[in-house]
Amino acid sequence: MHKRYRRLSALIRKETTQLLRDRRTLMFIIALPLIELFLFAYAVSLTVYHLPTAIVDQSHDSQSRSFIQALVNSQYFDPTVSLQNESQVIQAIDAGQVKAGLVIPPDFSASIERGNANVLILLDGSDSFSVQSGYSAASTIAQSFSLALTTQKVVRMGSASSSLAAAGSLPIVTSTRVLYNPDLKDLWFILPAIVGMIIQTLAVAQAALIVVKEREIGTIEQILATPVRPIELILGKMIPLLVIILLITGIILGLGVFWFGVAFQGSLWLYFWLALVFIGSSLGLGLLISTVARTQKQAQQISMVLMLFSMLLSGIVYPRNAMPLIPQWIGDLLPLTYFIRISRGIITKGVDLAFLWQDALVLAGYCLVVLLVASLSFKKRLD
Amino acid sequence: MLRRIWAITQKEFIQTVRDRATLAILLSMPLLQLILFAYAIHMDVKHIPLVVADQSMDQASQSYITDMVQSGYFEVISTVQGQAEVIHAIDSGSARAGLVIPPDFSGQVERASASVLLLVDGSDPFTTQSAYNAANVISQAHTISLVLDNLQRDGSAISAQDLNPLTTHIRILYNPDLKDLWFLIPGMIAMLLQTQTIALTSLAVVREREAGTIEQILVSPIRPVELMLGKTLPNLLIAMVNMLTIVVVGAMGFGVPFRGNFALFLGLALIYVFSGLGLGLLISSVSQNPRQAQQLNMMISLVGLIISGFIFPRYTMPVVLQGIGYIFPLTYFIPIARGIFTKGIGIEFLWGSAAALTIFAGGILFFASRFFRQRLD
Repeated sequence: MHKRYRRLSALIRKETTQLLRDRRTLMFIIALPLIELFLFAYAVSLTVYHLPTAIVDQSHDSQSRSFIQALVNSQYFDPTVSLQNESQVIQAIDAGQVKAGLVIPPDFSASIERGNANVLILLDGSDSFSVQSGYSAASTIAQSFSLALTTQKVVRMGSASSSLAAAGSLPIVTSTRVLYNPDLKDLWFILPAIVGMIIQTLAVAQAALIVVKEREIGTIEQILATPVRPIELILGKMIPLLVIILLITGIILGLGVFWFGVAFQGSLWLYFWLALVFIGSSLGLGLLISTVARTQKQAQQISMVLMLFSMLLSGIVYPRNAMPLIPQWIGDLLPLTYFIRISRGIITKGVDLAFLWQDALVLAGYCLVVLLVASLSFKKRLD
Repeated sequence: MLRRIWAITQKEFIQTVRDRATLAILLSMPLLQLILFAYAIHMDVKHIPLVVADQSMDQASQSYITDMVQSGYFEVISTVQGQAEVIHAIDSGSARAGLVIPPDFSGQVERASASVLLLVDGSDPFTTQSAYNAANVISQAHTISLVLDNLQRDGSAISAQDLNPLTTHIRILYNPDLKDLWFLIPGMIAMLLQTQTIALTSLAVVREREAGTIEQILVSPIRPVELMLGKTLPNLLIAMVNMLTIVVVGAMGFGVPFRGNFALFLGLALIYVFSGLGLGLLISSVSQNPRQAQQLNMMISLVGLIISGFIFPRYTMPVVLQGIGYIFPLTYFIPIARGIFTKGIGIEFLWGSAAALTIFAGGILFFASRFFRQRLD
């Protein structure tokens, strides 16, 4: 046992020295997640405000102005140019100058009096985020504007008995409350997910490359000639990586909470342990890749495919309940799928193991199985 | 000179083709992405799992819930007693939204003092936004129809048309049915062309250096520029094949229309691919080993992905980040790809981006070849 421990610690020392000596690689490994965090924090807004909008007002009366005002007040639309007619608006959208256009036909106030007014809103359908924000904003604004007109009209007509008309109030008020993230802050959505994404990408890629590299340059033969056993070799290689990745996770979380003010609702201690299990599973997955891949190029390509699947199918960006069954099953094979739920559960929702035990259990099982399979097939490849 | 380039190209080509596994992954990537995006991704989230706590169980509450469900945005998965159970269901993740209707709903609607509470899971951005917007629009529409019903029942002399004086038409250009794939394909082409060309080229030189074979090449009469061209040509071919796969499968298989001029698209894509190859060579000259090269090109792909406008619109970003975006060829190519593919516009609208892209490609190739030569000497 003692000997075994000494061999393991010698290996860990060797790997740590190798890792620390290659300063530039180390710098990249640490800098990449930080860049990712800052980019997401500053560049990404999931709801699109201030769509550049072309305005065509062929009426120039009080009603048309108040409709435009309603659009502008919503913050969703910024009037950047005013044009003469619809075809000019389409041209401006063609040219990419504006993302939306509003066309108000002549004689607007009078048509509203007669009850047959029309407004046209045009949206650039080549940019999904803008279109979706713009579409729902425009329909909500138009609806409430129209509702206000109706109420005014009813009140003015002095419609007899109706209590609601007299009060000018609505029969139902729906209040919408967003749990956990009431102000819809983008980073609160994103942080739990990118922590998981960063951990998995780094762990898989590094674990996959580190073994393939020794095989490719031939140094694996030298190591095999020593009394080191395969399981020791694997542990020796994985432990320094585990420490570095844990460190990076800490930095990202620290920055997220203290610099960007994301609220960490749950238990940090629980998060630490589950993150550890998750890093273990991802390293195991990387090892599995390394037993399959013969060259560094192959290892890299396989980890890229894995990253793509993780990005799309784990629920990190696109919701899993909107997917058909087969993509959901593929997603179930990735450790990230379980960790995203855990990460969002602990950081954003503040729930504890009582709600998360299933995901935690699956992840732990995953970690064991993948490490076992990896070390078994590793042994086979070496013989 | 041409013969030497050809020789290198042949060597690279054979190396690429011999490594079957890598080649298979490279060529199946675009198909894989296309299928994933086509079948798995829905940006506009429908059928959000909803728990309902209906404490009235009367006609008004039923019709409100029916309106919510018929919109297609919500699907009732269970009914519970009160708000606490609703929050519990959202906590556990089994539901994404919850509806709480207080007792005596019909009576309150009559007195015009009814209120409904909708709770939305705020931990998942897409679902939250879809649920939030859908709920607002649906409940507003429901309210309006109630007002109209009431008024007509009161027998006032106002006609329905009078009551709805304004109709707003919203027209979405280019992609009227908001099909997700139509949004994604042009961006996907742009992204794939960049990540693959950068990844392939950046490894090209570093690997030869690590394996020591670069010495052998250098003692041969091959000049650095020839080496560079020879190494990039096979990658160029792979990139173009992948692009065609996406366009053809997208158009034939998934019915995404290609609206613009294909020749123009091909020409500009070629320039764009060269800029990606240039970036790859630059990385190759800067890095000391494959791991560094891989980290660097992951960094470039990632940063490019976020600030080029591929997913997130650029005009919402801070000015500094918009500026940084101009370092990536992807930023110039996204408007070109969307413009020609989805919008069907011609060079008269795109000459700005096209000129910028050409200058960029020229500049980057110039620098890349200088660095490349320095590193070889």
